[in-house]
Amino acid sequence: MSYSERAPVDEERRRLLHERAACPREHFAALRAQGPTTPLLENDTITCLLGRRDVEDALKNWQDFTSDFGGVMGSEEPLIPLNVDPPLHAKYRRLLDPYFGPRRMKALQPAVEKHTNDLIDAFIDRGGCDFSQEVAVPLPCSTFLSLFGLPLEQRDALVRWKDIMIRPDVVAEDPSQAQQLQLETAMEIYGRFTEEMADRRANPRDDLITYLTQAEVEGQKLTDSEIVRICFLQLSAGLDTVTISLECIFAFLAGHDDARGMLVEEPGSEVDLIEELLRWETPVQAVGRQATRDITLRDGTVIPKGTDVNLMLASANVDPDGLAGADEVDVRRGEMRNFAFGGGPHRCLGSNLARMELRTVVRVWHERIPEYSLQPGTDVEWNSSLLRGVDHLRLAWPAGATS
Amino acid sequence: MKICIDSDLCAGHARCWETAPDLLVDDEDGRGVVRAPGADIPPELEAQARKAASVCPEGAVVLSN
Repeated sequence: MSYSERAPVDEERRRLLHERAACPREHFAALRAQGPTTPLLENDTITCLLGRRDVEDALKNWQDFTSDFGGVMGSEEPLIPLNVDPPLHAKYRRLLDPYFGPRRMKALQPAVEKHTNDLIDAFIDRGGCDFSQEVAVPLPCSTFLSLFGLPLEQRDALVRWKDIMIRPDVVAEDPSQAQQLQLETAMEIYGRFTEEMADRRANPRDDLITYLTQAEVEGQKLTDSEIVRICFLQLSAGLDTVTISLECIFAFLAGHDDARGMLVEEPGSEVDLIEELLRWETPVQAVGRQATRDITLRDGTVIPKGTDVNLMLASANVDPDGLAGADEVDVRRGEMRNFAFGGGPHRCLGSNLARMELRTVVRVWHERIPEYSLQPGTDVEWNSSLLRGVDHLRLAWPAGATS
Repeated sequence: MKICIDSDLCAGHARCWETAPDLLVDDEDGRGVVRAPGADIPPELEAQARKAASVCPEGAVVLSN
């Protein structure tokens, strides 16, 4: 049973959750017409900020919209650097930004290209695949293992770990045990990372764990707890986000021959196209903040101190107020500024990693499988999560038209 | 026309130097650095400069006369 079937929501709420995922542009345009904020469908104590200008303001304004409100995604401790604000945040980012910078990602790219080819090899002769389960889920997990210097054989275990941390209620056989399962798994992961740290201190290698054990912030080595909280964030934020981004992009391409043809005929065109689709689809629909004081929005609406606020990137990115044409998709327009990776000091640490993965998969796929479509008889069925994806995107292609 | 990057606003999106490779270069964190600070942009590169300014989500790429 999926989460959406189990969640205690009434009919109208269920309909709106589906609409938010299946038709986000229309959904958010209708909400913006009613005002600058709306309660989150899953939890009406959380206020969603909808407009481009308000979201831009809030992303930059970490003083009023704090990220420092405890742990998220199964972690009791604040994740690093996600739940830490400046000035401490800047210290961590100075350490981590170069490791996740474009230059370093360029060095990791050949490994990602190999992972992509290996995944495609497994199904290309079959003439079809479940893109979500056979590419979008495993690819970022393989990349994670390469980044962390862990063996590829651990991919299935990693998939289970991240599913339990992010969606324990779906993985647990008995929903009442979900929290316990998540806690036990968190301890298991903590223990595992601690072992890996000890190993890297004894046998340094060229990987992220070694880097973290050797790195210093203002002359101080990171503590084991800090390193684990950095690793936890990678697990919670670096896998499903890439999975759903791949699903959004390929769901679009399967239905748009013009865009697919452009990718095949004009190598390199994937860079701008991916930016346009990240903006248009905005797979990570929101980022969380908390109001540190009463905040007055541009139209005079007041958000009371202490309110949990979701900055609705999926709404801001397609809001034409302040950016003409943003409410339309154009695969040939080139890049349009977007907040698919958030913005301000908390701009997604992994944005360069994600872009490298997305570009690599899109390029390699279209070199090898230029002609494809949705498998006949299947539809794109969006999940209803704020991490907007397609759990089973089934694609098909003609035999012999591949390489 | 001149181009500069407001380092207080720059959040390292790495979009400007990919968009305007003749005018900007990346640093280790992926932030844009002006190749020739203070220099006038040749007319044929002005379109690149405008594009770089338009793609920056932070408005950190500043053009001036």
